[in-house]
Amino acid sequence: MADHNDPNAVNHIFSDIDYSPADLYDLFGWPTAESKNVVFALTFASAPAAGVLDSDLLYRLLMTSHPRVGWPEAGEISLESVLSYFDAVKDKYIGELKTAEVRVTAQTPSSALIKFIGFPCGNFSIGVEVDKVVAIPTPDGQTIKAFVGGRDDAFFNDLTGFFRSINYAPQFYHVPHTMTEARELQIPKTLLELEGNDLFNYRPDMPEWGISQPDGTVPKLDLPPGPWKWNGDRFKKDTDGNFRFVYDGRDCRAGQNCNAIILEMPHSFITAATSENRLVNAWGESWVLKAAHKVEGIPDDPSWLEHPWKAVREKELDEELRKYKLVDTDGQPFADAALSEREDDRQLGANNFWLGPHFIKRLAHLGWGFGPSISALGLKTSFDHNDSPVSVYKTYDLVATAFPRVAKTLFQRLNMPDSSWNPKGLPIPLRRPFEIFIPNVCAVDMDTNGTWPFGRRLEDQVATRFLAMFLDMEAEWNGKKYHVDLLGDQALWDGAPIVPKTPPNPLKNDKEFLDQFPYLAEPWPENW
Amino acid sequence: MSEMASKATLRAPQLYGYSEELARAEADIARLESQLRIRPDDLEIRVRMAYRLFHRASLTGKMDDFDAVEAAAKEALEQFGPKEDLCLLKANLDFRFHRLAEVRRDLEMAPLLPGRFEGRILLADLDYQEGRYEAARLGYEHLIEENPTWDNQARLAHWKSKLGDVAEADKLYEEAEDELTAKQMRSFAWLELERGVLAFQHGCYERAWKHYRLADEAYPGYWHTDEHFAELLAAEGRFDEAKALFKTVIARTPKPELQQALGELYLLTGRPEEAQAWFDCALATYLESVRRGGVHYFHHLADFYMDARIEPAEAVQWASRDIEMRSNFSTQAAMAWALCLNDGPIRAVEHISLALHSGVQDAGIFSTAARIFEAAGQPGKSQFYAQKASQINPTYSNFHMHH
Repeated sequence: MADHNDPNAVNHIFSDIDYSPADLYDLFGWPTAESKNVVFALTFASAPAAGVLDSDLLYRLLMTSHPRVGWPEAGEISLESVLSYFDAVKDKYIGELKTAEVRVTAQTPSSALIKFIGFPCGNFSIGVEVDKVVAIPTPDGQTIKAFVGGRDDAFFNDLTGFFRSINYAPQFYHVPHTMTEARELQIPKTLLELEGNDLFNYRPDMPEWGISQPDGTVPKLDLPPGPWKWNGDRFKKDTDGNFRFVYDGRDCRAGQNCNAIILEMPHSFITAATSENRLVNAWGESWVLKAAHKVEGIPDDPSWLEHPWKAVREKELDEELRKYKLVDTDGQPFADAALSEREDDRQLGANNFWLGPHFIKRLAHLGWGFGPSISALGLKTSFDHNDSPVSVYKTYDLVATAFPRVAKTLFQRLNMPDSSWNPKGLPIPLRRPFEIFIPNVCAVDMDTNGTWPFGRRLEDQVATRFLAMFLDMEAEWNGKKYHVDLLGDQALWDGAPIVPKTPPNPLKNDKEFLDQFPYLAEPWPENW
Repeated sequence: MSEMASKATLRAPQLYGYSEELARAEADIARLESQLRIRPDDLEIRVRMAYRLFHRASLTGKMDDFDAVEAAAKEALEQFGPKEDLCLLKANLDFRFHRLAEVRRDLEMAPLLPGRFEGRILLADLDYQEGRYEAARLGYEHLIEENPTWDNQARLAHWKSKLGDVAEADKLYEEAEDELTAKQMRSFAWLELERGVLAFQHGCYERAWKHYRLADEAYPGYWHTDEHFAELLAAEGRFDEAKALFKTVIARTPKPELQQALGELYLLTGRPEEAQAWFDCALATYLESVRRGGVHYFHHLADFYMDARIEPAEAVQWASRDIEMRSNFSTQAAMAWALCLNDGPIRAVEHISLALHSGVQDAGIFSTAARIFEAAGQPGKSQFYAQKASQINPTYSNFHMHH
């Protein structure tokens, strides 16, 4: 037809982005069996369907176990010290730490091959049927429970509220992919609606605006011509003097499924020195097969099939990975969405050390939005916003100027609501935000119950706990120190000048979790 | 707790090809149609629909399908105004059909679009089509530096294949392939076809077979691949197989350039009556397209009147109209040969010199130059270009299509 080269004739995807099984949702991890075992659950988009795997995908769950290293009690709170910490973590991950991994590929849509690589007992593999709980005997005589398949998505969150809080236009407006400047608009991030912020404030005439519908569509508006700014100077209040919450606490993932790789493995399978190595750090990765290797096919090495316990040389495994492209990583909840702005080139997994300075600047940017919102509600914030009466849109070029604002937020210990997180009553230090997000791993402390940030349990409302970083953990409410679940306390909202009177996110999942393996609930029926 | 024996079965290759992708595109279109019935004024659904229609048309190559894209884009633009993604879609559509002035207007409808990554791709493509080769190369290189997407690597590869080093071109195509995942097998197959064409145009039939077969394996059932197989069969002198395959492809996608190619094949094999029937079909479609305002068959019409039915005056007319829109080595060479056939070599030399001045390295253009210089009484130059043509492609005189 055309006497010229025209790749766009085949490059048809520049408008639509398909629902991708490479999209990792969450990584959960917590200890079980009196701290002898650890559970990890890596969830991802259920494409083509819940319980049906895509054979072009490869999933990795990487893990390493090492001693708990606390920040020195009298450690200096300075930019230099936190940057030194990032450097030290980098050296540790790039240098001395040896990671083991569980690698999962689909053999057919209903069966998967699980490879265990780099664990103390040697490498081995096993084929498993999808949607079945399987007991895998290990070469050193232990047992791993495994489940690969469809589940109810364990994430419960008011995503629309979160997007409204950061003025994320594509959730509410038709924004062409070309318009990269029209994503997070330059309007102060906020927990309370801003007076005159007509671009994002709740519209009674469109109650479903920006909310995913059962048919998969999201009612949106046409993005008006810019400039997309806000020139107001106060939070919005109704005639009764109430603020308007950007959240309404709904579960935007209700009724939706995921696919999941769930493993319950003995700690002693991961490390021989279980009594010393009390932390198990893990992160997930999704990789997609490269086109060239799709044609060539990847016949599995017959040795895997005939001798599942046979050790595989490192080189051969690297050969396998070289046939794939890394697409997504997942360690900490909100590490991508809230701190890395979901940029593709920041998919670094645990190796997000170089994002350390960016993390400080981004946290300060968020702090100028959320800090004044918290103050307006009569709560104390860890962020230094100079008593600003309203949220401010501010970005930083220099980490040195951002740091003083955010120092307390970064360094404060995150109080827990009660002592249940530490069932043995051990002297385990409370965790601090900079330790939680760098490196980007799910760090399961085997001496705790694994609730976030000592891991991540299914029932943890991590979105609300993330916001709690901006609370001043030295302050008290109702005679009790602020803690990570304070914003999930209905009593707080009942007494606050705000509507709707609800915690920002749902308090529990839409389906009850199971009290036994595989813990995540059965999937919902799918009719598409 | 259930268990399963550790019997890992071999991975069954799951290669979805043309029919599966087309079925999926049709299903998406049906789903969007039903959503539009409920929300006819939803911009996002309308845009998705226009892009999905473009997807389907790109698959089938059928004019009716492209007409549907055009109508959807036009309607959406009228209803919602010059949204960037709609303007971008229209610009791509216009570029595909050689409406280059329209492309520029489409981009300018959305003021920021010409500065966007996607807009700059089209501007670099316009530079190439309008003969500003250095600007095109620099454009592609800057885009790749910014984001090394497979399609821009392919664009630069094509540039190199015509104006630079062939080995470098093939390497760039290979690098472009490395960017693709198993979710982009049609794009991978397309790149393999481009690599096969590169080999074909240098007389390396075995290598061309290898690439075409890989394309077929990667993306089974694609008529575009069969079209390349048919050309290669004909070039190898396997005329009956080639004719049969051309007929199969035409039955699926009645593209006039394929009908012309089949006619030429009948002509080559001494069956002029059957050739004329196919030429009639091809010509009717070319002219119908022109009647409806289309310009993308000008180049084929010029070729048609030079190679299928020798009517040099007609050839000059269509070559002139083509060159008015886009003066590049391809249109200049076509114009030169049409003039040579119609008026003799004097003005033809002028045009072929322009084409050669571009630095193009193409056996077809060198072969045309050799014939024009011979007619102009310049045997030295004629021999020079004949040798160059032969060096690039010693099999150039074998059957080949007008791409």
